[in-house]
Amino acid sequence: MTGSRRILALGLAALLSITACGGTSPPSASGPTVPSSAAPGTQSPSGPSEATLPPISPDPSLTGTLTVWGWEAAINTLKEVDADFAAAYPNITLEYVVAPPADTYRNLQLAVSAGSGAPDVSVIEDSHLAQFVELEALADITDQVSPYVPLMNDYKWEQAQLDGRYYAMPWDSGPVAVYYRRDVFETAGVDPATIETWEDYYEAAKTIKAEAGVPMWQHSKARNFARLFEKMIWQRGLGYVDDQGAVILDKDPKILEVLEYMGRMWEEDLALDNEEWTDPWYAAFADGTVATQVEAVWMGTFFKSFIAPEAAGKWGVFKLPVWQAGDVQASNDGGSQLAIFEQSEQKEAAWAYVQFYLGRSESQLLMYEKQDIFPSLEPTYEDPFFSEADPYFGGDKARELFAETVAEIPNANIYTADYQEMNALLQAEIQKFALGEQTAQQALAAAAQLIRDQTQRP
Amino acid sequence: MPSTRTPAAAAPPQGAAAPRLSYQPVARLWRHRWPLLFIAPFFVLFAVFFLYPVGFSLWLGLHSTRGLARSEFVGFGNFELLFRDPLFWGSMANAVILFLIYVPLMTVLAIVLASVLNAGFLRLQGLWRALIFLPHITSMVAAGYTFRLLLERDSGYVNAALSFFGVSPIPWLDDQWWARISLGLLMIWAWLGYNTVIMLAGLQTIPRELVEAAKVDGAGRFQALIRITVPLLKPVIVFAVTLSVIGTFSMFAEPFVLTRGGPARATETPVMQIFSTTFEELRYGYAAAMSFVYFAVVVGVTIVQLAFMTRGDDR
Repeated sequence: MTGSRRILALGLAALLSITACGGTSPPSASGPTVPSSAAPGTQSPSGPSEATLPPISPDPSLTGTLTVWGWEAAINTLKEVDADFAAAYPNITLEYVVAPPADTYRNLQLAVSAGSGAPDVSVIEDSHLAQFVELEALADITDQVSPYVPLMNDYKWEQAQLDGRYYAMPWDSGPVAVYYRRDVFETAGVDPATIETWEDYYEAAKTIKAEAGVPMWQHSKARNFARLFEKMIWQRGLGYVDDQGAVILDKDPKILEVLEYMGRMWEEDLALDNEEWTDPWYAAFADGTVATQVEAVWMGTFFKSFIAPEAAGKWGVFKLPVWQAGDVQASNDGGSQLAIFEQSEQKEAAWAYVQFYLGRSESQLLMYEKQDIFPSLEPTYEDPFFSEADPYFGGDKARELFAETVAEIPNANIYTADYQEMNALLQAEIQKFALGEQTAQQALAAAAQLIRDQTQRP
Repeated sequence: MPSTRTPAAAAPPQGAAAPRLSYQPVARLWRHRWPLLFIAPFFVLFAVFFLYPVGFSLWLGLHSTRGLARSEFVGFGNFELLFRDPLFWGSMANAVILFLIYVPLMTVLAIVLASVLNAGFLRLQGLWRALIFLPHITSMVAAGYTFRLLLERDSGYVNAALSFFGVSPIPWLDDQWWARISLGLLMIWAWLGYNTVIMLAGLQTIPRELVEAAKVDGAGRFQALIRITVPLLKPVIVFAVTLSVIGTFSMFAEPFVLTRGGPARATETPVMQIFSTTFEELRYGYAAAMSFVYFAVVVGVTIVQLAFMTRGDDR
């Protein structure tokens, strides 16, 4: 798996790097918001207990040859379920086409523009999904996914819908927590349990720097991709724009607070300036020359497989600190879905595929256990697998923690149809801020203005 | 200089100037069917791969599009937006700055190297010429990644070597100006050999007697180079610099691999902008408008540069 994970990581890096943009865009999809699943808080994280998974009754007479596009890690994961699928639908043949994410998207866009050549089904990350929905490239599967809407993480549907219609089915979620080096915390005499607020986190950072000589997090200045920033504003339910589509980067003081906080970490030398997904970045995790990483559940997969396999037992996980008592301790980073393309002439078979792989607890659990892709399908969280201790994380029940976290993830207008573009515009301004060329306020004002000019958003 | 563009195909040859209109054009065509058939492939390819794309781009440039699924006629709306787009003009400014950073140095180095390679005393001339040209035929992606590894601030070999001499780490790729310089270094590395070969070809047309005559008159080797060789080489230098102008504005692979246009867009070139507008944002209409303006700017800059470099010439 090492190879494939590395390729995904490289692909991801490449993807982030291509200072990219998403189409000009009207206000983000803010269709009828499905009421938040399961009141967050003390309840079981498994979401609504009332709704049950619709049973799947495969129609073995369904025939066809389905083309499925995705990148190596995703396709390898889907393949785990192929044997079961073949047994249920013996007359459907699968043809997987593997390409790095950036190439997959480019090929999809070209196929959509050309009007032919799109696959039946493709993996699409949440960050790119809204763009394809807007292009009217995806098949409307509202009727088919309706029973699953209350069963999947609520926030995931935001990207999959436009004007109340659904165009994709959530696969995996990216609940964010803080990964930390136990050995570093011990050396510095910091108890992670005492970190409740971001202010505590900052104080801990100072102590750790002073006592252990280790920076708290890795955060690149000149090659900043704004991902950490996005995670931190997502936690506050904030994004680039509000529900009406108006840019809020320069409007909301909570956003400024986040960027200034990041600036403080740079200024006081509490951040290690390494580019994400590069060898020095990996090395710091492996060697313990960085104390924490604020990252989504899938980071654990990368730690275990190729970044720091030797560091088993040295990492631990705790929930995100809050800005004020009572705030949610959850955010999201990444995640993907499966979509059926409008061009497909075998939509029935394609839906059978999507439903079998994503709408079935057994499939989702199998993919999670084998390949660590965290399911968006909430009934799976009841499985005992989630309450097992994870030896890599020193016995922390990491899966349970993430299952609790995922139920709390707020909706935030980050992955809009023009996300690529807004992200690219923000990146450059954060970079200038990090390099000391402007203040946090100026950076946000400049980014907001550029976004308004380029996307014609209010 | 990455001369990715060949000059636009020559104008179609003028038909055998028909002295008077034929009353039977069909019959006339039929009479010339064989010559017409033989010259047809060029015109077919020209129409399919040049006229049609240019025409379609023009159509796109006048429309606001998202993908091709929806498009709306906006007249010159895209151009109006473009003229006050700070990112587009910023990328143009980057191209000018990059040009000033590496082209003068590269051109001088190319002349010097070409003179050395052209000198009679050098042995194994073929080998040296091949070695100097080698970087140009190396894959830019491989070279770019190698430069990144070399120039990384904390883990790069260049800073490691410099620290040996007590130089503190240089943010080669992590500072806007250093990133431009680093990109200039990569450009010189990749394009010096190409320019040297052009200069060498030019030098070989200069009769040796002229330089020898100058030496007889008492000029040193350096003086002969400056007073005799360079002036005679001027048309070739102008040609090489013109290619560099076009190449700098159309630079793509080098910054894409080395800096990805960063930090903070400091090394983003116009073609990178057009690329991301097209393939990431899917704003085909806007990108088409950008391409036209980009083309006009490059032609304009080239004309200015030619006028500047050839002023005072007799012709």
